[in-house]
Amino acid sequence: MRVLIVGAGVSGLFIAYELAMKGVREVVVVDKSYPGSGASLRNVACFRSSFTSPEHVLLMKESIKKWLELKDRLNLDIEQSGYLWVARKPETLDTFRKLVSFYHSYEIPAKILNVDEVKGLVPKINSKIISGAMFDPTAGKMGILKNFVKIYLETKKAGVKIIPYTEVKKLITSNDRVVSVETSRGVLEADVYVVAAAGDSKRLLEPLGVHLPIKDVPRHPMITEPYAADYRLGLLIDWDTPGSPHITQTVHGGFILARDLEDIPEASLYSPRSDAFKNIVKPLAELLPFLKHLKIVRYWMGYYDMTPDHHPIYGPVDQYMNLFIAAGFSGHGMMLAPVTGEVISSWIIEGKPSIPVAQNLTLERFKTGKLVRELAVIG
Amino acid sequence: MKGRIIICRCNDVTLEDVEKAIDAGIDDFELLRRYLRLGFGPCQGRSCLAIAARVFARKTGKKVDEVLSGWRVRPPIVPINISAFISEGGD
Repeated sequence: MRVLIVGAGVSGLFIAYELAMKGVREVVVVDKSYPGSGASLRNVACFRSSFTSPEHVLLMKESIKKWLELKDRLNLDIEQSGYLWVARKPETLDTFRKLVSFYHSYEIPAKILNVDEVKGLVPKINSKIISGAMFDPTAGKMGILKNFVKIYLETKKAGVKIIPYTEVKKLITSNDRVVSVETSRGVLEADVYVVAAAGDSKRLLEPLGVHLPIKDVPRHPMITEPYAADYRLGLLIDWDTPGSPHITQTVHGGFILARDLEDIPEASLYSPRSDAFKNIVKPLAELLPFLKHLKIVRYWMGYYDMTPDHHPIYGPVDQYMNLFIAAGFSGHGMMLAPVTGEVISSWIIEGKPSIPVAQNLTLERFKTGKLVRELAVIG
Repeated sequence: MKGRIIICRCNDVTLEDVEKAIDAGIDDFELLRRYLRLGFGPCQGRSCLAIAARVFARKTGKKVDEVLSGWRVRPPIVPINISAFISEGGD
């Protein structure tokens, strides 16, 4: 069997890697730019299973397990150092209590912390403006740049052929099958095709009559110079401020700061906003006053490829027998990637996903109206 | 000796680090930059990029122009203190 994957981001690479490991002999991945040039190398690289839909919780728990296995095998930078959602308002703690009881029903040991406990975890926090927090010790962060390159090398070592700087222009179909793809450097043929190209998946599949409800929403992370790592936490989230400002310290030492700003969908990745600095930095510096003394060294943009229910689109489509989708990760593609590889590779080889709950995430759900609901989309 | 030739002072990357990473199979300059953090420090690659690009071009048989084509400057041009964005009476 020959499989062609469009998109050499972390999802495409994991799908390719799993297929190769399961014995598929010809796996090719094409990308319009360098591998990882989309969200894979632009995200803040944190992970958690504390979501509010059973689908996300089950898939993310499995993904964390897989990431930790990979950490040992490939010597990746991954720390299970926790997420802390900080409440400024006392009434927010009621919301947290409800969430914690939901997480407990899925055996995620999240808990409520009082102000002193928060100070114990983050000694430099401005405790005068907070009421407490919710903490998930199973969440964490990773060193994205090195990890991605290691995964890239491992995928190549498994025998996968990766063709960068080659744009797929068109999928050519005949009846209910995709027969080839037209690229900027010629035609490529395979038996099975996987589109894992985030927002570009939509543009690529629209002419086939396959409509993906995905919107590329710009995000604006920025990073400080590296500072001595006295801050082990995975991600700190300012829950009560609109756009949930959040901050993590990378393995390298720089603090990444971000906030979901109102933005125009599909805005160019090279249209930086001068107001992003102030809007992102200010609320976080209220919570962590030491930030005032740090310097921002770099600001970049990336997309969340958002779907209406903030869950990915997985699996086959009705109209074409040999076409699979893995897109619309809505900001969670990196943390889900090992599971994406497992789900899509088993779907291709065995005809169904090895993790059954993935079946709730096919494109079909937008026609039948069986959307998945997710209340907290952060990090 | 190559292990003592520092080509990136922001992140203490040596010539040996660059050559070893290319030999390990990193065949794309943008991935090499990310793996070693070349151009990710406060100077944004002012000193390291030309050297690293030449080494990469020589070892992979590519042209320096081609090697550097994916590199983009990102704001701010020089590091800015966070305190500069937090003014009293602002938003």
